Amino acid sequence: MVKARETLIPKPVEPEPSLTDPPPVAASVVGVSKRFGKTSVLENISFDVAEGEVLVLLGASGSGKTTILRIIAGLEMPYTGKVILHGKDVTELPARERGVGVIFQSYALFPKMTVEKNIGYGLRIRKRKRKEIKATVNELLKLVQLEEHRKKYPSQLSGGQQQRVAIARTLAYKPEVLLFDEPFGALDTQTRVHLRREIRALLRKVNVPSIFITHDQEEALELGDRVAVVNQGHIEQLGTPFEIYSRPATEYVATFLGAANILEATVKNGGVEVGSAHLPVALDQEKFHEGDCVKIVFRPEDVVLSKSDFVRSGASKISAARIEEIAFVGAYERVRLRLDRGVDECRTDDTPYYLTTETPESQSTKAIIATRPKPEAAAARLQIGDRVTVAISSFTVLPAPK
Amino acid sequence: MRPLSIGMLVLMMLPLVFLPLASIFIFGTRTGLDKFWAALSAPEAVFALKLSMATSFWATVFNVIFGLFAAYVLSRYNFLGRNALIVTISLPTAIPTAVAGFALLLLWGPYGTLGRFVTPHVEIMFTAFAIILANIFVTFPLAFGVIKPVFDTMSRSLEEASATIGATRWQTFWHVTLPSLRGAIVSGALLTFARAVGEFGSTILVSGNLAGRTQTAPLYIFAKFNEGQIEAANAIAIVLALFSFLIFSVLFFARDWLDVD
Repeated sequence: MVKARETLIPKPVEPEPSLTDPPPVAASVVGVSKRFGKTSVLENISFDVAEGEVLVLLGASGSGKTTILRIIAGLEMPYTGKVILHGKDVTELPARERGVGVIFQSYALFPKMTVEKNIGYGLRIRKRKRKEIKATVNELLKLVQLEEHRKKYPSQLSGGQQQRVAIARTLAYKPEVLLFDEPFGALDTQTRVHLRREIRALLRKVNVPSIFITHDQEEALELGDRVAVVNQGHIEQLGTPFEIYSRPATEYVATFLGAANILEATVKNGGVEVGSAHLPVALDQEKFHEGDCVKIVFRPEDVVLSKSDFVRSGASKISAARIEEIAFVGAYERVRLRLDRGVDECRTDDTPYYLTTETPESQSTKAIIATRPKPEAAAARLQIGDRVTVAISSFTVLPAPK
Repeated sequence: MRPLSIGMLVLMMLPLVFLPLASIFIFGTRTGLDKFWAALSAPEAVFALKLSMATSFWATVFNVIFGLFAAYVLSRYNFLGRNALIVTISLPTAIPTAVAGFALLLLWGPYGTLGRFVTPHVEIMFTAFAIILANIFVTFPLAFGVIKPVFDTMSRSLEEASATIGATRWQTFWHVTLPSLRGAIVSGALLTFARAVGEFGSTILVSGNLAGRTQTAPLYIFAKFNEGQIEAANAIAIVLALFSFLIFSVLFFARDWLDVD
C-alpha cells in the first residue's frame, strides 16, 4: 500500500456541466485482461477516451497502468479484450500500424539523429516529400519552442527539451492517440511542474486525445480531464479530478489521492454516527442500511478546529481532541490531533456512549491530520497539548469491508 | 618510487616487445631502401599481400554480419541453450590455430567428411576460399564480442519508439539500431581484419602454401625465410607490422569518435 502524500494540491474545482453533446469516443479499451505466466496483471479493464480528452491512469508502481498503455500501443498483447481506436478494432494490429504516439519516460530519442531528424523520422519512413517533411518539422519546432536547437543531438539537450522533442516527434505523423508513459518521471520537481503545464497547454492546442500514466496524484489532478485510479490490475474509480478527490469510491482512492483521514462510523437515523456525533447525510439506500458499519473519509483541509465548543456553520462537530503535533509546511500548517476515545468505532449495539474525561486513558489510539491555511493559523494560534473541538466540513461515506 | 616502476616496466618490455619490433625495421632497411622496395614489389610479394587483404576482407565482412545477427538474437531472446551458444561462438579463439586448420582439412579436404562429396565438383581446400574459411573460423567471436555488449545495454524503448512511430523491423534496424552500433561495428571489423591478416597456423594447413596462388603474406615471410631470402621476408614483415600499428592506432585514437552520441 502506498502511503498517501500530503501536498499542496489546489483543490479540484467542480466543472461546469456542459450542455452540448459529449465529444465522440476516440479510443476504447474493452474488457482487457493480461497475464504474465500465471500472474494476472490486468483484470477486465474498460474505459473510453473522448476526442481531445486527457485521461490519466493513476496508480502505484506495479499496479498495471504501464501494461494498459503498452497494450494500447501494441507493444503488448492482451490476454482477453479489445483495443479500439476511432472505431477500428486494432487489437491484432502490430504497433507500427496503429498510428499511436508513445512518449516514453526515457524519451527514447534516437541518439544518432539531430532534433529535426528525430522529429521528421515518422514522415521519412512514410516516404513523404522532402518539402512536406521540412514544413512539418519547422512547424513543430516552433510549437515546442526548440527552433534554435534543431541541429543538436538529444544528448546536448536538457531533460525537458528532450521530452518536447519526443512529443513533437509523435505529433509529426498525426497520431490517433497520444500515450504518455510517466513522461516526467526522470525530471526534477521544478521542471516537472513547469513542463506539465506547458504540455497541458500544448495538448489543448493540438487537441489530440491523450492517455497519461503517472503515480503522482498532483500531476493526475492537474493534467487529467478525467482520472482513472488503477490498483492491482483493476480500475478503482474513474471520474473527473473533482469527483475522485472529493467523492472517492474506495478507501484506496481516498488515501492514494493526497492525505485522507478515515474513521469508522455507523449508519443511524438516516445519517452516520461518529462517536457521539450524528452527521446528517444523504446515503444511497441500496448500499447502506441502518446499523451498517461504514467508514467516513475526509481531507485534512476539511477539518475545522475550534478552541471553544462553537464551530462555524457548515461544519459538523465530531469529537474533541488534543493537539499532538504542529508543523509548518510552507503555505499551511499541519496539525496532528489525538481524538477522544470512542470516535473511531462502529457501534452496532445500543450501549451508551460514555463521556470522556481529560485523562490520557480517555484518548483513543486514533490520530487525524488537519491542515489550516496560514492566515487562519495566524488568527487562531494553537499549541501542542491544547484541547480543541473537531468538526468536518465535508466527508464521504464508504462501505466498511465486512 | 614512480620513476623506478616506470623504468622497470619499460625495461621488461624492451627485450620482449620493443627490440623485436625495432629489429624488423633495422634489418629490413639496412641494405638500403632500394633493396627494400625491390623486395616489396616482387610479383610474389605483391600477390601475397593482396591475397591476405582480400581473404581477410571477406572473412571480416562475413564475421561482422554474422556477429551482428548473433548478437541480436542472443541479446534479444532468452531460450534454452542460449548460454551454450554464446560459449560455442567464443570457443574458436581458444582453439590452437593449427588445430582449427586441421579440423577444416578433415571436414573439407579431398577425403574429408563433407569434402569427399564436394571435391569432385568444387575444390575447397588449397584455394583462396579455404583461407577465407580458416580466417572466419579463427576470428569468429571477435566482432560478436564487441557488438553484443552494445546490444545488451541498448534501451529497448528506442526500438519500441521506432515501431510505434510506424517503422518496420527493417527500417528500425537500419535507422535506429545500426547507427548506435556504428562504433562497435567499426572496432569489431578492425579487430577481425587485423587478426585475419596475421593468421598463420590454420592458413598454412588449408592453403597448401602455393606461391602466387594460395600464399598469404605471413606464409610468404615463412617461405622466404626458409629459402634464406631474409630481405624478402623482412620487407613483408615491415608492411604487416606497420599495418597492425595503423589499425591499433585507429582503434585507440578513434575511440571517442566511435562512441560518439
